[in-house]
Amino acid sequence: MKITLIQIGLALISLFIIGDRIQRYLRREISQSIFKLISFLTVWTVVLIISLFPTTVYYISRKLGFGETLNPLIFAGFIIVFLLIFKIISIIEELERHITKIVRQEALKNIKKRR
Amino acid sequence: MNDKVFIVMPAYNEGKVIANVIAGVKKAGYNNVIVVDDGSDDDTSVKAEQAGAVVVRHLLNRGKGAAAKTGVEATKILGADVVVTFDADGQHEPSDIKKLVHYINEGYEVVLGTRDFSRKEIPFFKKLANLIANVFIWLIYSVWVEDSQSGFRAYSKKALRVIDLTSDRYNYESEVIKEIAKHNLNYKQMPINVYYTEYSQKKNQRQNFISGLETLLKIIANPVD
Repeated sequence: MKITLIQIGLALISLFIIGDRIQRYLRREISQSIFKLISFLTVWTVVLIISLFPTTVYYISRKLGFGETLNPLIFAGFIIVFLLIFKIISIIEELERHITKIVRQEALKNIKKRR
Repeated sequence: MNDKVFIVMPAYNEGKVIANVIAGVKKAGYNNVIVVDDGSDDDTSVKAEQAGAVVVRHLLNRGKGAAAKTGVEATKILGADVVVTFDADGQHEPSDIKKLVHYINEGYEVVLGTRDFSRKEIPFFKKLANLIANVFIWLIYSVWVEDSQSGFRAYSKKALRVIDLTSDRYNYESEVIKEIAKHNLNYKQMPINVYYTEYSQKKNQRQNFISGLETLLKIIANPVD
Protein backbone atom coordinates (compact mmCIF):
# COMPACT_ATOMS: atom_id res chain seq x y z
CA MET A 1 0.00 0.00 0.00
CA LYS A 2 1.45 3.34 -1.07
CA ILE A 3 0.73 6.22 1.30
CA THR A 4 0.85 9.79 -0.04
CA LEU A 5 1.81 12.97 1.82
CA ILE A 6 -1.81 14.18 1.87
CA GLN A 7 -2.86 10.94 3.56
CA ILE A 8 -0.17 11.30 6.21
CA GLY A 9 -1.11 14.96 6.76
CA LEU A 10 -4.83 14.19 7.11
CA ALA A 11 -4.13 11.28 9.47
CA LEU A 12 -1.89 13.44 11.67
CA ILE A 13 -4.48 16.26 11.79
CA SER A 14 -7.28 13.88 12.74
CA LEU A 15 -5.10 12.16 15.37
CA PHE A 16 -4.21 15.55 16.84
CA ILE A 17 -7.84 16.67 16.98
CA ILE A 18 -9.03 13.36 18.49
CA GLY A 19 -6.31 13.57 21.17
CA ASP A 20 -7.04 17.23 21.86
CA ARG A 21 -10.78 16.64 22.26
CA ILE A 22 -10.35 13.69 24.59
CA GLN A 23 -7.89 15.71 26.67
CA ARG A 24 -10.31 18.66 26.86
CA TYR A 25 -13.13 16.39 27.91
CA LEU A 26 -10.98 14.74 30.60
CA ARG A 27 -9.95 18.18 31.86
CA ARG A 28 -13.69 18.87 32.27
CA GLU A 29 -13.48 22.07 30.26
CA ILE A 30 -16.72 24.05 30.12
CA SER A 31 -18.89 23.31 27.07
CA GLN A 32 -17.26 19.90 26.47
CA SER A 33 -20.24 17.59 26.74
CA ILE A 34 -20.18 13.85 26.11
CA PHE A 35 -22.41 14.37 23.05
CA LYS A 36 -19.93 16.84 21.58
CA LEU A 37 -17.05 14.44 22.29
CA ILE A 38 -18.81 11.51 20.60
CA SER A 39 -19.74 13.53 17.50
CA PHE A 40 -16.20 14.91 17.16
CA LEU A 41 -14.69 11.44 17.65
CA THR A 42 -17.05 9.92 15.05
CA VAL A 43 -16.30 12.53 12.38
CA TRP A 44 -12.54 12.58 12.88
CA THR A 45 -12.23 8.79 13.21
CA VAL A 46 -13.99 8.50 9.84
CA VAL A 47 -11.51 11.04 8.40
CA LEU A 48 -8.63 9.04 9.91
CA ILE A 49 -9.87 5.73 8.48
CA ILE A 50 -10.56 7.18 5.03
CA SER A 51 -7.21 8.95 4.88
CA LEU A 52 -5.32 5.75 5.73
CA PHE A 53 -7.59 3.34 3.82
CA PRO A 54 -9.21 5.32 0.97
CA THR A 55 -10.63 2.15 -0.57
CA THR A 56 -13.10 1.82 2.34
CA VAL A 57 -15.17 4.55 0.66
CA TYR A 58 -15.65 2.31 -2.40
CA TYR A 59 -16.52 -0.59 -0.10
CA ILE A 60 -19.22 1.52 1.63
CA SER A 61 -20.47 2.77 -1.74
CA ARG A 62 -20.84 -0.79 -3.03
CA LYS A 63 -22.56 -1.91 0.17
CA LEU A 64 -25.05 0.98 -0.10
CA GLY A 65 -25.84 -0.07 -3.65
CA PHE A 66 -24.24 2.89 -5.46
CA GLY A 67 -21.76 0.63 -7.21
CA GLU A 68 -18.25 1.87 -7.99
CA THR A 69 -19.21 5.51 -8.52
CA LEU A 70 -18.99 7.89 -5.60
CA ASN A 71 -21.09 10.73 -7.07
CA PRO A 72 -24.42 9.86 -5.39
CA LEU A 73 -22.62 9.61 -2.04
CA ILE A 74 -21.03 13.05 -2.50
CA PHE A 75 -24.37 14.45 -3.70
CA ALA A 76 -26.13 13.08 -0.60
CA GLY A 77 -23.39 14.65 1.52
CA PHE A 78 -24.03 18.04 -0.09
CA ILE A 79 -27.76 17.78 0.54
CA ILE A 80 -27.19 16.96 4.19
CA VAL A 81 -24.80 19.91 4.57
CA PHE A 82 -27.29 22.29 2.90
CA LEU A 83 -30.13 21.06 5.08
CA LEU A 84 -27.97 21.63 8.13
CA ILE A 85 -27.12 25.16 6.98
CA PHE A 86 -30.81 25.99 6.45
CA LYS A 87 -31.63 24.60 9.86
CA ILE A 88 -28.91 26.70 11.46
CA ILE A 89 -30.08 29.83 9.61
CA SER A 90 -33.64 29.34 10.83
CA ILE A 91 -32.41 28.83 14.40
CA ILE A 92 -30.38 32.05 14.18
CA GLU A 93 -33.37 33.98 12.78
CA GLU A 94 -35.55 32.70 15.60
CA LEU A 95 -32.94 33.79 18.13
CA GLU A 96 -32.71 37.23 16.49
CA ARG A 97 -36.49 37.61 16.77
CA HIS A 98 -36.35 36.70 20.46
CA ILE A 99 -33.51 39.16 21.10
CA THR A 100 -35.44 41.96 19.39
CA LYS A 101 -38.52 41.16 21.46
CA ILE A 102 -36.56 41.33 24.72
CA VAL A 103 -34.76 44.53 23.67
CA ARG A 104 -38.12 46.10 22.71
CA GLN A 105 -39.82 45.16 25.98
CA GLU A 106 -36.91 46.59 27.93
CA ALA A 107 -36.97 49.80 25.85
CA LEU A 108 -40.72 50.32 26.33
CA LYS A 109 -40.60 49.94 30.13
CA ASN A 110 -39.97 53.66 30.61
CA ILE A 111 -42.81 54.63 28.30
CA LYS A 112 -45.21 52.41 30.23
CA LYS A 113 -44.07 54.05 33.47
CA ARG A 114 -44.76 57.51 31.99
CA ARG A 115 -48.38 56.58 31.38
CA MET B 1 -54.81 69.03 16.24
CA ASN B 2 -51.18 67.91 16.21
CA ASP B 3 -51.39 66.55 19.77
CA LYS B 4 -52.25 63.09 18.51
CA VAL B 5 -49.63 63.12 15.74
CA PHE B 6 -46.43 61.36 16.74
CA ILE B 7 -43.15 61.51 14.86
CA VAL B 8 -41.04 58.36 15.16
CA MET B 9 -37.32 58.63 14.44
CA PRO B 10 -35.23 55.46 14.43
CA ALA B 11 -31.68 56.65 15.11
CA TYR B 12 -28.32 54.95 15.17
CA ASN B 13 -25.24 57.06 15.88
CA GLU B 14 -26.91 60.30 14.78
CA GLY B 15 -25.56 62.39 17.69
CA LYS B 16 -24.11 65.00 15.31
CA VAL B 17 -27.39 65.91 13.64
CA ILE B 18 -30.28 64.62 15.76
CA ALA B 19 -30.76 67.81 17.79
CA ASN B 20 -31.18 69.89 14.61
CA VAL B 21 -33.56 67.38 13.07
CA ILE B 22 -35.76 67.35 16.20
CA ALA B 23 -35.68 71.15 16.35
CA GLY B 24 -36.81 71.28 12.72
CA VAL B 25 -39.72 68.92 13.37
CA LYS B 26 -40.80 70.86 16.46
CA LYS B 27 -40.58 74.11 14.51
CA ALA B 28 -42.93 72.59 11.95
CA GLY B 29 -45.48 72.23 14.77
CA TYR B 30 -45.02 68.65 15.92
CA ASN B 31 -44.01 68.32 19.55
CA ASN B 32 -44.54 64.59 20.00
CA VAL B 33 -41.20 63.30 18.82
CA ILE B 34 -40.14 59.80 19.76
CA VAL B 35 -36.52 58.95 19.08
CA VAL B 36 -35.65 55.28 19.17
CA ASP B 37 -31.95 55.12 19.90
CA ASP B 38 -31.01 51.80 18.34
CA GLY B 39 -28.06 50.97 20.61
CA SER B 40 -25.92 53.90 19.45
CA ASP B 41 -22.30 54.18 20.57
CA ASP B 42 -22.43 57.97 20.60
CA ASP B 43 -24.50 60.55 22.50
CA THR B 44 -27.65 60.25 20.34
CA SER B 45 -29.88 59.62 23.39
CA VAL B 46 -28.51 62.57 25.37
CA LYS B 47 -28.75 64.97 22.42
CA ALA B 48 -32.29 63.83 21.60
CA GLU B 49 -33.43 64.22 25.19
CA GLN B 50 -31.90 67.69 25.42
CA ALA B 51 -33.73 68.63 22.23
CA GLY B 52 -37.01 67.68 23.91
CA ALA B 53 -37.78 64.30 22.37
CA VAL B 54 -39.07 61.24 24.20
CA VAL B 55 -36.21 58.76 23.97
CA VAL B 56 -36.68 55.03 23.87
CA ARG B 57 -33.41 53.13 23.97
CA HIS B 58 -32.54 49.73 22.53
CA LEU B 59 -29.83 48.11 24.63
CA LEU B 60 -28.49 46.42 21.50
CA ASN B 61 -28.49 47.50 17.87
CA ARG B 62 -31.42 45.67 16.26
CA GLY B 63 -31.75 47.49 12.94
CA LYS B 64 -33.90 50.26 11.50
CA GLY B 65 -37.00 48.10 11.11
CA ALA B 66 -36.88 46.91 14.72
CA ALA B 67 -36.33 50.48 15.93
CA ALA B 68 -39.26 51.80 13.86
CA LYS B 69 -41.51 49.10 15.28
CA THR B 70 -40.46 49.91 18.84
CA GLY B 71 -41.26 53.56 18.12
CA VAL B 72 -44.68 52.64 16.77
CA GLU B 73 -45.37 50.48 19.84
CA ALA B 74 -44.45 53.46 22.03
CA THR B 75 -46.87 55.72 20.14
CA LYS B 76 -49.65 53.18 20.66
CA ILE B 77 -49.04 53.31 24.42
CA LEU B 78 -49.06 57.11 24.29
CA GLY B 79 -52.36 57.17 22.38
CA ALA B 80 -51.38 58.32 18.90
CA ASP B 81 -53.92 58.78 16.10
CA VAL B 82 -51.37 59.41 13.35
CA VAL B 83 -47.76 58.26 13.25
CA VAL B 84 -45.14 59.62 10.90
CA THR B 85 -41.79 57.83 10.53
CA PHE B 86 -38.99 60.27 9.79
CA ASP B 87 -35.31 59.53 9.13
CA ALA B 88 -33.03 60.93 11.81
CA ASP B 89 -30.17 61.88 9.48
CA GLY B 90 -31.74 65.12 8.31
CA GLN B 91 -32.52 64.06 4.74
CA HIS B 92 -36.24 64.88 5.02
CA GLU B 93 -37.98 68.24 5.06
CA PRO B 94 -40.02 68.74 8.28
CA SER B 95 -42.57 70.94 6.50
CA ASP B 96 -43.56 67.89 4.40
CA ILE B 97 -44.99 66.21 7.53
CA LYS B 98 -48.01 68.49 7.34
CA LYS B 99 -48.83 67.27 3.81
CA LEU B 100 -48.55 63.60 4.79
CA VAL B 101 -50.76 64.10 7.86
CA HIS B 102 -53.26 66.00 5.69
CA TYR B 103 -53.87 62.94 3.52
CA ILE B 104 -54.29 60.71 6.58
CA ASN B 105 -56.93 63.14 7.84
CA GLU B 106 -58.58 62.91 4.41
CA GLY B 107 -59.05 59.16 4.94
CA TYR B 108 -55.97 57.46 3.56
CA GLU B 109 -54.55 54.69 5.78
CA VAL B 110 -50.93 55.02 4.67
CA VAL B 111 -49.14 57.90 2.95
CA LEU B 112 -45.82 57.00 1.35
CA GLY B 113 -43.32 59.82 1.04
CA THR B 114 -41.88 59.44 -2.45
CA ARG B 115 -38.49 60.79 -3.50
CA ASP B 116 -38.17 62.25 -6.98
CA PHE B 117 -35.75 59.85 -8.65
CA SER B 118 -35.45 61.93 -11.78
CA ARG B 119 -33.28 64.42 -9.91
CA LYS B 120 -29.70 64.60 -11.08
CA GLU B 121 -28.03 64.57 -7.67
CA ILE B 122 -29.40 61.14 -6.82
CA PRO B 123 -26.62 58.60 -7.47
CA PHE B 124 -27.22 56.23 -10.39
CA PHE B 125 -26.77 53.14 -8.20
CA LYS B 126 -29.55 54.36 -5.88
CA LYS B 127 -31.93 54.94 -8.82
CA LEU B 128 -31.22 51.48 -10.22
CA ALA B 129 -31.56 49.73 -6.84
CA ASN B 130 -34.89 51.46 -6.22
CA LEU B 131 -36.18 50.55 -9.67
CA ILE B 132 -35.24 46.87 -9.23
CA ALA B 133 -36.89 46.78 -5.78
CA ASN B 134 -40.03 48.47 -7.18
CA VAL B 135 -40.30 45.97 -10.04
CA PHE B 136 -39.96 43.00 -7.68
CA ILE B 137 -42.50 44.47 -5.27
CA TRP B 138 -44.91 44.97 -8.16
CA LEU B 139 -44.39 41.41 -9.44
CA ILE B 140 -44.88 39.84 -6.02
CA TYR B 141 -47.37 42.07 -4.20
CA SER B 142 -49.12 43.58 -7.26
CA VAL B 143 -48.64 47.05 -5.83
CA TRP B 144 -46.75 49.64 -7.88
CA VAL B 145 -44.97 52.23 -5.78
CA GLU B 146 -42.48 54.76 -7.04
CA ASP B 147 -40.30 54.65 -3.95
CA SER B 148 -40.43 51.38 -2.05
CA GLN B 149 -37.46 52.24 0.16
CA SER B 150 -38.42 55.63 1.61
CA GLY B 151 -38.44 55.92 5.40
CA PHE B 152 -40.75 58.97 5.44
CA ARG B 153 -44.29 57.63 5.81
CA ALA B 154 -47.50 58.36 7.69
CA TYR B 155 -49.92 55.82 9.15
CA SER B 156 -53.48 56.04 10.39
CA LYS B 157 -54.67 54.37 13.56
CA LYS B 158 -56.16 51.50 11.56
CA ALA B 159 -52.91 50.99 9.64
CA LEU B 160 -50.98 50.92 12.90
CA ARG B 161 -53.31 48.27 14.22
CA VAL B 162 -53.15 45.90 11.25
CA ILE B 163 -49.59 46.30 9.96
CA ASP B 164 -47.41 43.63 11.49
CA LEU B 165 -43.71 44.00 10.79
CA THR B 166 -41.21 41.27 11.42
CA SER B 167 -38.14 42.57 9.55
CA ASP B 168 -35.47 43.95 11.82
CA ARG B 169 -33.20 45.41 9.19
CA TYR B 170 -33.65 47.70 6.19
CA ASN B 171 -36.15 45.49 4.38
CA TYR B 172 -38.88 46.68 6.72
CA GLU B 173 -39.71 49.43 4.21
CA SER B 174 -40.63 46.79 1.62
CA GLU B 175 -42.51 44.84 4.27
CA VAL B 176 -44.82 47.82 4.77
CA ILE B 177 -45.79 47.56 1.09
CA LYS B 178 -46.48 43.86 1.59
CA GLU B 179 -48.76 44.68 4.51
CA ILE B 180 -50.56 47.34 2.45
CA ALA B 181 -51.31 44.67 -0.16
CA LYS B 182 -52.23 42.05 2.41
CA HIS B 183 -54.74 44.23 4.27
CA ASN B 184 -55.84 46.11 1.16
CA LEU B 185 -55.07 49.45 2.80
CA ASN B 186 -55.97 52.69 1.11
CA TYR B 187 -52.62 54.37 0.37
CA LYS B 188 -51.34 57.52 -1.26
CA GLN B 189 -47.94 58.37 -2.65
CA MET B 190 -46.78 61.89 -2.00
CA PRO B 191 -43.70 63.59 -3.46
CA ILE B 192 -41.27 64.71 -0.77
CA ASN B 193 -38.12 66.78 -0.71
CA VAL B 194 -34.86 65.06 0.09
CA TYR B 195 -31.55 66.61 1.06
CA TYR B 196 -28.61 64.53 -0.03
CA THR B 197 -26.03 65.98 2.34
CA GLU B 198 -22.53 64.55 2.58
CA TYR B 199 -23.50 63.27 6.04
CA SER B 200 -26.63 61.41 4.93
CA GLN B 201 -24.78 59.99 1.92
CA LYS B 202 -22.11 58.51 4.16
CA LYS B 203 -24.76 57.05 6.41
CA ASN B 204 -26.67 55.56 3.51
CA GLN B 205 -23.73 53.44 2.51
CA ARG B 206 -24.95 51.03 5.16
CA GLN B 207 -27.69 50.14 2.71
CA ASN B 208 -25.06 48.65 0.45
CA PHE B 209 -25.17 46.16 -2.38
CA ILE B 210 -25.25 43.11 -0.09
CA SER B 211 -28.07 44.43 2.10
CA GLY B 212 -29.91 45.36 -1.12
CA LEU B 213 -29.63 41.78 -2.29
CA GLU B 214 -30.79 40.59 1.11
CA THR B 215 -33.86 42.82 0.84
CA LEU B 216 -34.58 41.38 -2.60
CA LEU B 217 -34.31 37.80 -1.34
CA LYS B 218 -36.63 38.56 1.57
CA ILE B 219 -39.21 40.04 -0.83
CA ILE B 220 -39.07 36.89 -2.96
CA ALA B 221 -39.06 34.51 0.01
CA ASN B 222 -41.99 36.16 1.81
CA PRO B 223 -44.80 36.85 -0.65
CA VAL B 224 -48.22 37.84 0.67
CA ASP B 225 -49.53 35.01 2.79
